[in-house]
Amino acid sequence: MGDLQPIQLQVLAALLFLLGLATVLSRRNLFFVLMGVELMLNAANLSFVSWSRTFSGSTALEGQVGPLFAIAVAAAEACVGLAMLLSVFRSSESLDTDAFDKMKE
Amino acid sequence: MITQVYFWFFSLVALACGLGVLACRHPIHGALSLIGAMVSLAGIYSLIGAPFLATIQILVYAGAIMMLLVFVIMVLNSAKDDKTPWFDALGVFSLFPALAVGGVLVRALVGANMRQPFLVAGSDGKAPGPARGTVDAISRTLFPDKFGPWSFLFLVVGLLLLSAIVGAVLLAKRHLDSPAQDTSTPTGGH
Repeated sequence: MGDLQPIQLQVLAALLFLLGLATVLSRRNLFFVLMGVELMLNAANLSFVSWSRTFSGSTALEGQVGPLFAIAVAAAEACVGLAMLLSVFRSSESLDTDAFDKMKE
Repeated sequence: MITQVYFWFFSLVALACGLGVLACRHPIHGALSLIGAMVSLAGIYSLIGAPFLATIQILVYAGAIMMLLVFVIMVLNSAKDDKTPWFDALGVFSLFPALAVGGVLVRALVGANMRQPFLVAGSDGKAPGPARGTVDAISRTLFPDKFGPWSFLFLVVGLLLLSAIVGAVLLAKRHLDSPAQDTSTPTGGH
């Protein structure tokens, strides 16, 4: 029980991913849907970095460069997602996900 | 041994904050919980030898992205308080897909080769020290002497961020060429 084992980090990443997925699927508020997506991205980044610790050589560093791009894509996603949320809130005056069913008609 | 203490502290804080995101009623509390989870994940990153990524996590994720999210939450709450329900009865059924994905993840983790221990300094000849993800090493991977695949991806990410900024401005503006623009706050140019 001395040093850190890879399975500990992977289990933590899996649990965080499940919390994010449950947030995305079960919450009604659009803000929480976005936050659940961010939590899932964070869990995937943690899994990346943990695997990069396991492998040796240049694979290790590429496992840490991948999350850099994931963070950049998450920045773009949050930017566009919040803009969509603002415009959707202006059109329907609500943040309930069940209120956006115009495509059903 | 001290590594285990730090790991359990950070992971318990991260899991508690993740539960807070799932269970908080107000969006601002959820956003603050998410910031806590990101900061503790940054602590774990620096624990497992990625100090540059930990810095980027705090600067960009907990700093910039979550600042944007909190800002929008505060703007919308001043406009209209949320009457959105917390959970509904159907939300219980959407927890089953989460459990199914959890089963798949457990199966993948059981099947994975976990016997390979973490590399520590000096365990094999070419393994670097614990702080392997330094700025120097990562920038040498990103920008090698000749144009590499990561350099191309770097340029693509620049284009992606530019198009995201333009798309966000187009989406978040009030209607671009409708008469409703006259009643809104004056926006220069358009």
